[in-house]
Amino acid sequence: MSLNKVFIRQFSGSGAVLRAGYSTVQPVHHLVKVNKAALKPLYQGVLLPKDDIKSVSFKPTEISQDRVAEHYQNTLKSDLLLHNYEHGATTLKGNKKRSWGEDSPYKLYRNLKKPKGVSRPSKDVHPIRYDNVPEVESIVIQSYNKDALDESWLNISTRLQLAQITNVKPKQIYSKANILPWRVRQGKPCGGKVEITGRDMTQFISTLTELVLPRIRTFQGIKNTSGDSNGNITFGLDPEDVKGFPEIENFQELFPNLSGLQITFKTNAGTDERARTLLSSLGFPFYNP
Amino acid sequence: MFNPFRPSTISGFPSGSVVLKTFVRGKRQSTQSASTKKVVNQLSALSASRKQPKLLNLCNEDLIKHRTIVNAWKMFKRREEQRRHNQLKKQYKSIYNAMEDLKQTSPKLFELANAKEEGKRFPLEMRVPTDFPPTQPWVYNYSPKKETK
Repeated sequence: MSLNKVFIRQFSGSGAVLRAGYSTVQPVHHLVKVNKAALKPLYQGVLLPKDDIKSVSFKPTEISQDRVAEHYQNTLKSDLLLHNYEHGATTLKGNKKRSWGEDSPYKLYRNLKKPKGVSRPSKDVHPIRYDNVPEVESIVIQSYNKDALDESWLNISTRLQLAQITNVKPKQIYSKANILPWRVRQGKPCGGKVEITGRDMTQFISTLTELVLPRIRTFQGIKNTSGDSNGNITFGLDPEDVKGFPEIENFQELFPNLSGLQITFKTNAGTDERARTLLSSLGFPFYNP
Repeated sequence: MFNPFRPSTISGFPSGSVVLKTFVRGKRQSTQSASTKKVVNQLSALSASRKQPKLLNLCNEDLIKHRTIVNAWKMFKRREEQRRHNQLKKQYKSIYNAMEDLKQTSPKLFELANAKEEGKRFPLEMRVPTDFPPTQPWVYNYSPKKETK
């Protein structure tokens, strides 16, 4: 670029153009790292998308009918749209971070002030329209095993239990804090965590609502107070309740040390009330604690 | 990994010679206890090694067939998605029009229709449809149990 080159009147027309100037473009190519080893022909197979049949990690996904997803699409979605409709509704602005003011150059680039009254900014609540009908995006299942802090092999059975229930390999979780009376040490493995979406998620939902929850004698439902105010609902299952999963029920001698589950439904509902209605439509009971 | 130029790991033997183990009569006994074996089995069930199925090696013709089918399926799914989206859009518009109409004709009814229904739940009796529904799929004269409090 020679935008900032001063035009000098002279006999030669090309002299000014050909004179060496400096580039005003930032030299980005020094900053972008290119892993050249990944470009070699040996790795071409790895670069294929996972749904390509030639890919090494190809796994057929749609192998059978998905009852829950079809029920949601065919019946529940239009019901939820009608239920959540509010005439003349506008976006409710969340509590956002505030600027310090613009009267001084020091304030202009300062980190934004915390939102009023709370430490964290909250999200906007959009009215429900045909393109954002509430749906369950994913389910996070976490299993914390206190005993695994002492005997690390227990950690393996906790993760295997999660893998059996969800059909997805769980991630290892590590304790974050040092609390000596509980023998909690930072960085010690203490359980597992999975996030399931799609087919695995709907399968898990139907197992829960049709097989596991109805057989728990003491189960009243999910608490009406549960939720993180952004539309994510959590409830827990005891080790006794986990026995109800058919994958574990029939092989009880293989799982002598069961641990409880903490199940979080991540939804795009925006508010907890909408999320609860959504979950109730999928067959989860609710109760007032 | 495997390096042919690296000297053999067993010192004292030239590379390529077979190392004989001491022969033990009878079935080999493992040194691990039963509980340890159980944990090892659990760990091997959890790990992905040796569970990867073989890569499908399709000939060109089969590959083209497969891709054609997959493309057709994707197109079908996309159209289905589009159809559902249009359907919901139409529903939304007709709800909007009905409410606008009601606002003009009867503001009192409009207030009632636009009231928020917080805490509303779907009935638990509503089930996800199955391939083999019960002989009496819906109980029309059903009344829910009265809560005893």
